[in-house]
Amino acid sequence: MAMKSKTDEELIGLIVQKHRPALEELYDRYAKLIYSFSYKIAKGDTDKTKEIVQHVFLRLWTTKSTYNPAKGQLANWLLTITRNIAIDLIRKEQKHNGTIPLELDDMLHIQGQQSEDVLQQVSRNLLKQQIQEAKRHLSEPQQRLINLLYWEGYSLSEIAEIEKKPLGTIKSRLHQTLKKLRNYFNEETGGVRHGK
Amino acid sequence: MENKCENLSLYMINELTALEKEEFERHLKTCTHCQHELESLQGLWQTLSYEVEEVDVPETLKADVMNFIFEENEAPQQEQKVKPTKKGFIDLIKLNFKKHFSPLSTAVAVVLVIGLVGLFWNNLQLKETITVLETKEADPSQIVSTHILKGQGLAASANGNAYLIQEGSTTNLVIELNNMPRTKDEEVYQVWLLKNGTRQNAGTLKPDQNGNGLITYRLPQSLSFDAIGITLELNPNNTQPQGQKVMGTS
Repeated sequence: MAMKSKTDEELIGLIVQKHRPALEELYDRYAKLIYSFSYKIAKGDTDKTKEIVQHVFLRLWTTKSTYNPAKGQLANWLLTITRNIAIDLIRKEQKHNGTIPLELDDMLHIQGQQSEDVLQQVSRNLLKQQIQEAKRHLSEPQQRLINLLYWEGYSLSEIAEIEKKPLGTIKSRLHQTLKKLRNYFNEETGGVRHGK
Repeated sequence: MENKCENLSLYMINELTALEKEEFERHLKTCTHCQHELESLQGLWQTLSYEVEEVDVPETLKADVMNFIFEENEAPQQEQKVKPTKKGFIDLIKLNFKKHFSPLSTAVAVVLVIGLVGLFWNNLQLKETITVLETKEADPSQIVSTHILKGQGLAASANGNAYLIQEGSTTNLVIELNNMPRTKDEEVYQVWLLKNGTRQNAGTLKPDQNGNGLITYRLPQSLSFDAIGITLELNPNNTQPQGQKVMGTS
């Protein structure tokens, strides 16, 4: 198949022009990553996971943006979209009427990122171990914060409610948690980061 | 390091209010400390996603995904729904008329009825549009693409971003510009959307005293573009660029 030899960027370009085989090829390349990620957010609910994956690919099919490899690995872009959609769907289901903390700009987190080289070099499993290791350096409340924020998509004020702590406390906890994780990565691995 | 640097983590997870966000972005442009911190924290944030167990994908998922996209979401449902009624309605009226009128008056009546059905059909579509507009608020807005704008010529120091934002079925183009040289008198910056060599006017703006400018343009559904260009125009009502180009997507 000709699609197999296309780059990710070319596939996205074809998808924008509504070329179905390109979408199917992209599915073949990334379904496992997207499925695994969605499965975690959906806490193992396979129906919910399927729904998330369907919406991610629908979003890709209707996207008007052309993927720019200079902005980061496609995997990162896909995972950002997947996280937004997943949290959106799950929070909707919880009938949460407040604002869904999910106008996280799809593109915000990939702009200006230069970490993809490192990410490409290090296998995903290794990264996973490192994250888990880094998380072990966090206190219980700090670990909870990351899980509620990243994996469950709660807003800081919702987390403050859950934790029965003032919002200010949660904000400074976030600040410390991110720093701690980042410093761990910088020391142990020479960086999650960033070129230079 | 100033007070504003404290907002960095909140900015990254998008927990600032619109105003705070704007202030922080302004701060970010001048604070190299925050620029580096942001980059490194974003890298970290992205890395969190890799804490995932690989799971086997069900064999049937691909078909489920493709059917979801190509069958459930692409079917031209409204036409299928309305057309049969239209035809049935006409046939019924025709039949009735045949009983009572000559062929000529029947023909006239049929034309009238077709006109009526057309109105009815328009009305349906209008209702649909209104429903779309009404439900629009409930749809979260999503950035579908981002384009970086670079200054050139007179505005070499300027920079900016353009975002295509999808809200329900409407697409808005939001362009944010910084460090724009101030305009004199009637002068305006005019935004053009380029597609296959043709240019479409997408609005004009004047920057504020700090050189910042913002413009929102609602994209007609049929309109797509390959690039964005901005010219400095003496006359705000041009349909084609006359002034020199000062910014564009690379």
